[in-house]
Amino acid sequence: MGVSVLQIFPDASRSGCIETEKLHKRIMNLDAVQCGMFTVDCDSYYTTAQTGGGVRKMHIVHNTETPATTYAILDTGSKQVTLSADYLFDLMLPRLDHMYQSKKNLKIESKGAKYEVGDFVVKIGTVTMSGHYKGILVEVEYLPSVTPALCWSLMREFMQSFMGSCVKPTVPPYLQNKFHDVHTPQDTVQQYVEKFNEFREGPTFTGATPSAPSS
Amino acid sequence: MADIRLEVPAENSVLEVLYDGSELHQQPPSMSEHLTQLARKIDFATDGEEIKEEKKEEEEEEEKQPFQQPHWPLEEVRNKIRQALTEVSVLHDLLAVVKPKPPQYMVLDPVQADPPEPKAYIQFLSLKKSLQAAGTILLNGAERLRTSQAEMGRPGRVVGQDFHIELLRLRQNWRLKKVGSTILGDLSYRSAGSMYRHSGIFEVSKADDGPGGPGILSIGSGGASPVAPQLGPRAIQSSLRVTVPTELTGSAYIFVCIKKDEEDICSAQLTSSDFVSGETHWQQKLEKAQNVLFCKELFSQLAREAVKLTPSIPHLVVGNQITATIFPGIHLLVGLCHSDGKNGQKGGSGVLVPGNSGTGGVVVGGNNHGSTTNMAPTSVMAGASMAGAPGVGLGGLGPSKYKHEHDLEHSLHQLLHRVYHHSFQHPLPHPVYAYMGMSKRRRAAGPEGMDKTQLVNMMKEQTLLEQIIRQVQHNFLRLRTMYVIDQLAAEFKDPLIVSHWNAFNSPTRSCVKINIATQGYDSVLRTKLVIHISERSLKCICRDGKIMTMSFEPQELRNLILCQISQHNMAALQCLARYTGWTVLSSEQNVGTGAIEPLGNASTVMLASPSGNKVIGVHSGPHQRVSVMVSSSPRPDFYPSTVVSGQRWENLGASWQEVRHDRMEGRNFLNKMELLMAALTA
Repeated sequence: MGVSVLQIFPDASRSGCIETEKLHKRIMNLDAVQCGMFTVDCDSYYTTAQTGGGVRKMHIVHNTETPATTYAILDTGSKQVTLSADYLFDLMLPRLDHMYQSKKNLKIESKGAKYEVGDFVVKIGTVTMSGHYKGILVEVEYLPSVTPALCWSLMREFMQSFMGSCVKPTVPPYLQNKFHDVHTPQDTVQQYVEKFNEFREGPTFTGATPSAPSS
Repeated sequence: MADIRLEVPAENSVLEVLYDGSELHQQPPSMSEHLTQLARKIDFATDGEEIKEEKKEEEEEEEKQPFQQPHWPLEEVRNKIRQALTEVSVLHDLLAVVKPKPPQYMVLDPVQADPPEPKAYIQFLSLKKSLQAAGTILLNGAERLRTSQAEMGRPGRVVGQDFHIELLRLRQNWRLKKVGSTILGDLSYRSAGSMYRHSGIFEVSKADDGPGGPGILSIGSGGASPVAPQLGPRAIQSSLRVTVPTELTGSAYIFVCIKKDEEDICSAQLTSSDFVSGETHWQQKLEKAQNVLFCKELFSQLAREAVKLTPSIPHLVVGNQITATIFPGIHLLVGLCHSDGKNGQKGGSGVLVPGNSGTGGVVVGGNNHGSTTNMAPTSVMAGASMAGAPGVGLGGLGPSKYKHEHDLEHSLHQLLHRVYHHSFQHPLPHPVYAYMGMSKRRRAAGPEGMDKTQLVNMMKEQTLLEQIIRQVQHNFLRLRTMYVIDQLAAEFKDPLIVSHWNAFNSPTRSCVKINIATQGYDSVLRTKLVIHISERSLKCICRDGKIMTMSFEPQELRNLILCQISQHNMAALQCLARYTGWTVLSSEQNVGTGAIEPLGNASTVMLASPSGNKVIGVHSGPHQRVSVMVSSSPRPDFYPSTVVSGQRWENLGASWQEVRHDRMEGRNFLNKMELLMAALTA
């Protein structure tokens, strides 16, 4: 388990497959080895009216990399609390339906291929929300280190090598907060939730204009 | 007159139930109507016998009958009661006539039926039969009493050894249940976590004295056997007999040995004079049977794993032995030795001869017996002649050709016990929502967010055979390392090699510390190294912190120690030079010149005397003997020539002269060098 960084890859064409093909080609030029698929899915639950107080969200996230785990992230707007539990937690959710109710049309997932490039693991995922294409999300994991501070510059360089200038030289705000802490699987999942929220809120999300190196 | 109770029924009968559920009740009859109704039901006259008085009345009544109504409500009752009174009066009169003792007018005569014909023969038969039955019961009782008396009075019998007390003792140690009229017990380890399919049922019955009597005689006469006398009486005592299934009789053990060569993998045979006669005490008998069951389960488990595993050199399962290759040319043999009580031998093909070492702690006399009498096959016969000898007597074929490894057998047992333990024992505390049998780490996997590879690694479990092979590999490697070190220590007296084996070790890991020191110069220098022995490799940590990993080949370890000895000599010499005031001119660990070493490099040291006029050069290699050279500085044989004319050149060192230090005085190398230095300084 190393340090993971998530990056939204801007997709001007809004078709998905062209850009993923491009990324695939670029990463294969870096002597990557494709090793299977991955899925990260996120269900959102909202508190029902009778519970009172403000409406709170709870995201239930599954990551195929950690198949025995269900992550429940309580989102109060300002603060996020992550609970990582056994996958049996899913069976408990129907019993909570008087408190939390699922919004089916907010189910969002990132699905795609996984590559290994030396010590790096790259996952190029296509984000779809209830069947509609939303964008491309790339996860880069650096296995030998567990502290973002020690490997951020290396990772940035690696990411820029195949994603171009859409990778900002500054540290992502989430990682910045935990720059000197040990990176855990929960951090990866929280970043996913963060990015998924961005996708949900901005349906016409466009990042910086890609000026990527020609592949 | 009897009282006649007239009561109104509690409820009036229902006339009709309307559709809305309400009931229409019949109106209660008036008093007179009711009484009439009741009176009609009474019938006093049973027969049609008429009394004249009544007839008269009836005639009178007949006249009134057209009215269909009696005069008053109780008339019918009165008539019938009166009729009854008349009958009773007649009877009373009759009795009065008959009663006076000398009967005057009337005599009552009993009515006599014809008496049946007396059949004397049948009567006699039935009498005899019932007497016989009674006699049998009495005889049985007497017989019982006599046997119990005899048992009580039998010499040597411990009081209280009767069947029920024995059964109670049995019950305290074994699982029993009653099925119908038989008592069945359970030998199997199922309640401890075993999954073996054998039922392991034994039957408990009461021992009758029939076979017991001859048993005493045979034991008494079989005094030739050294074990029988002390075991005989105890075996006879028991009034309880257990019957174990035939496949569990006898005794068994798992034979484990390490073989060095390919030859005769299957040519060995079992000779075991171990024996369980029918009269062994039930406790021993059951323990043995349970042991047989355990060994069988262990072996079947190992055989199953041996077939399932696919190592590079496949395991061989032939008959009742498993052969696994642990190192090239080194095999592990695991065999199931089972001797039943009949002829002490079982299993035709591929049974083993476990060397001459006795197994287990129960070798009472069998071993001596077997080895003194004759070779293996006859020892079986000899063993058969002695009844009730528990213990494994192993006739010796080739001495120590196949050495049974007790510790490995023990660890095999331990492994299976651990499997049992794990099947029932779940680590606590155990959350109520978790699956049963989930390991602690698996439970933590979810909350800790373990990834796929970690989960897969966690699921991997080593089979029993893999574990035992690892243990055997380690065991073998440890013994080999021990042998190599001991050989070297015996070979080299200068310097001394001292090894300390760590007493605390695990089945697959142990550690030895080696000290190399020169006798008498221990304080000068002591070269230490530590060798960790694992399953297939050795890890050596040297004095200078270098870590070397070696394979299982013994030559590698030998070379390493030889190098260490050579280096030790050189380093010790430098230390000694420091004490004696000599100067180390140069010291080279890896010399590039000179004869090529087959392994490693030679090293040299040059020492100058305090006044600087003598120089000693020492050259030593791992496989070469140490050579010592000396040169002196104002060379004695300097003659000015035309080329070198100046006298000052005589201060150059003279040519090297070799010291034959093996001819020198001194106990060891350092001692000799010290003497040499002293001689050169003086």
